[in-house]
Amino acid sequence: MIDFFIGLFLASFIVALFSGRLYKLIFWYAFNALTLGIITLLVGAQIDDIALIISGSITLILKAGIIPFILKRSAKRFHLKREITSNIPIQYSILLVPSIIIFTLYLAEPMSSMIGVNSQYIAISISSFFLALILMIEHKNIAPKIIAFLMMENALFLLGTTATYGMPMFIELGIFIDVMIAIVIINLLFKEEAIR
Amino acid sequence: MILFYLIAPALIMFVLSFLHHRLLNRILPITTLMILIPIVYLFGLEKPYTIIGNYWVATQLNSYILLISSIVAIGVTFALVTLKRRVRIENRSYVLFYRFFALFWIGLIISILANNMGIYWIGLEMATLSTVYMIKTNQSKHASKEAWNYMIVGAIAISLILFGIILIYASAKPILGEDAMNFALLQEHINEIKNPFLFELGFVIVSLGMFIKMGFFPMNLWLANIERASFYPVAALFSGILESAILVGFFHFSTIAIEIDRGATFSFVFIYLSLTLFLVSFLIYRSKDFMRLFSLSGVEHMILIILFWISGGYYAALLHFGAHAFLKPALFLSTGVLESNGQYKISGTLRGYQGWRGKSFAVIVGLFLLAIIGLPPSPMFFSEIYGFEAIIHLANQEDYYLWIIAALIVLLLLLSIIFYKFIEIYQSMRYEGEAESKIVYTNEWSFALLFLLATLTLLLPQTTTYLKAIYG
Repeated sequence: MIDFFIGLFLASFIVALFSGRLYKLIFWYAFNALTLGIITLLVGAQIDDIALIISGSITLILKAGIIPFILKRSAKRFHLKREITSNIPIQYSILLVPSIIIFTLYLAEPMSSMIGVNSQYIAISISSFFLALILMIEHKNIAPKIIAFLMMENALFLLGTTATYGMPMFIELGIFIDVMIAIVIINLLFKEEAIR
Repeated sequence: MILFYLIAPALIMFVLSFLHHRLLNRILPITTLMILIPIVYLFGLEKPYTIIGNYWVATQLNSYILLISSIVAIGVTFALVTLKRRVRIENRSYVLFYRFFALFWIGLIISILANNMGIYWIGLEMATLSTVYMIKTNQSKHASKEAWNYMIVGAIAISLILFGIILIYASAKPILGEDAMNFALLQEHINEIKNPFLFELGFVIVSLGMFIKMGFFPMNLWLANIERASFYPVAALFSGILESAILVGFFHFSTIAIEIDRGATFSFVFIYLSLTLFLVSFLIYRSKDFMRLFSLSGVEHMILIILFWISGGYYAALLHFGAHAFLKPALFLSTGVLESNGQYKISGTLRGYQGWRGKSFAVIVGLFLLAIIGLPPSPMFFSEIYGFEAIIHLANQEDYYLWIIAALIVLLLLLSIIFYKFIEIYQSMRYEGEAESKIVYTNEWSFALLFLLATLTLLLPQTTTYLKAIYG
């Protein structure tokens, strides 16, 4: 079951990379966060860790619900450009994505023997991190870059969950608060630009 | 309770910033002055002082850094009093600046005092995010673009730091459990770690994130452009305070990494720093305005601090850190006066001052400019002597003695380019161009004096004793 959702997690990154519309990108971010929340809940249930179950629930509410809602609302309110064009031609992206995944699988192999968890999970977390970086680089507009930053955060959260079975609860809560502060600041910046 | 006292002035400032009172612009600077009181109290306590179950620990190192940061914050507050006379800033932006400064200060205290990698990261992220809006207090299109740039590149850097922290945590969790996040415990048990490779990989990634945040290779011009686009007090906060929080983290992580493999840690950091210095020295040589010049010079000094630290010259690193934390914000804040007749005008900027206040301000700024390149009796002169001595001492213990000495000579040659440029600029400011009239307000003279006195304090024997006691 976890394998299935990790597969979906990675797939949402790949689809996001090829999205040409802002709302679709927000949708894929929400979907990505949804799979992340479910993975965290499943891992938490598997190892019987209440902290992970709480983290997973917060992820579902905050990252899959509230943040995409705020992002879409801001996009409408501040009339953000809905067409998002990529700087990297699609044929190069098609070559780049599998190369990153293969490279990270190779990179994660020795690491998994040290950590003692499934190497594919770590590989997918790291490849998702790199894919989020590409998403950030390939767009000129600011909105896709922000979504890429949030997806990068998701990739790191997955790495924390799979490589260490979750970080201490208060740290994860702190990270959630920071993400919320980031959203508030992003909104403020958009508002300032709209006022001007 | 002490943690509450430390963040209380910032909380008051944050709440006050939501009020609409005509005296708000006068009340907010006073709340900034209050941040010094709990920090001085903390500085006087016996160390190490544990705060809330070992999650935060006040040590001699972090209370020194916090004290320096609070003095810089007060200097910046002095400069803010007449900011409206120097630049076009709306009242709303001015109040918002204080609101985000409050958040920035809370983030800073959380990260500097943290004895836990996760908490350190949370504080650093909070401080980083709150500075984004401070850049935006300048309403220009350029500042808006740079605020977004800062947000994005800062996010990448901070994500890399978290990535590295997760790997370090994963490497130590099998032996320490959730306590693997604790800096002090991790250092104590570092040799028991079964997978040092994973720790080293984590350290490299954390360092990359920190280096990007400090404007090292390949982001050499990133920070300089942002500081150029912001108002000068924001640039002063960046150079004097935010970089302190990053350095504290680097000190923690590198001290543990050195315990695992000193040679590998030194080699990685040394090569990275040399590459950055190579680029930065030429960028400084070509810079045509004060803000970029000071910003790039800040990168140069961060390089030196890290280099001295990694070589075991702890006293040199901390002295250099203190001197840089006072001198660089002082220079950034002085640009308000220096650039009053044009942003890209350097010649004659130390001429045309009237009255004892103006003339003494010009003398102090001239001294700052010469002190930043390490001319005696600047504390930087002594820190560089001690720092390079530490590198030579380290080279003596290593197998690659000649390589290190050769690399050191190259580094000194690169530093001499920077030295030449600063002397050329000083001469141009002092002896060339027309003497255009410049006004120096009392608050500007006061911050210059404050930073001068603070820098001189670093030369006192008591300071030397204190700094030498931190790491033996």
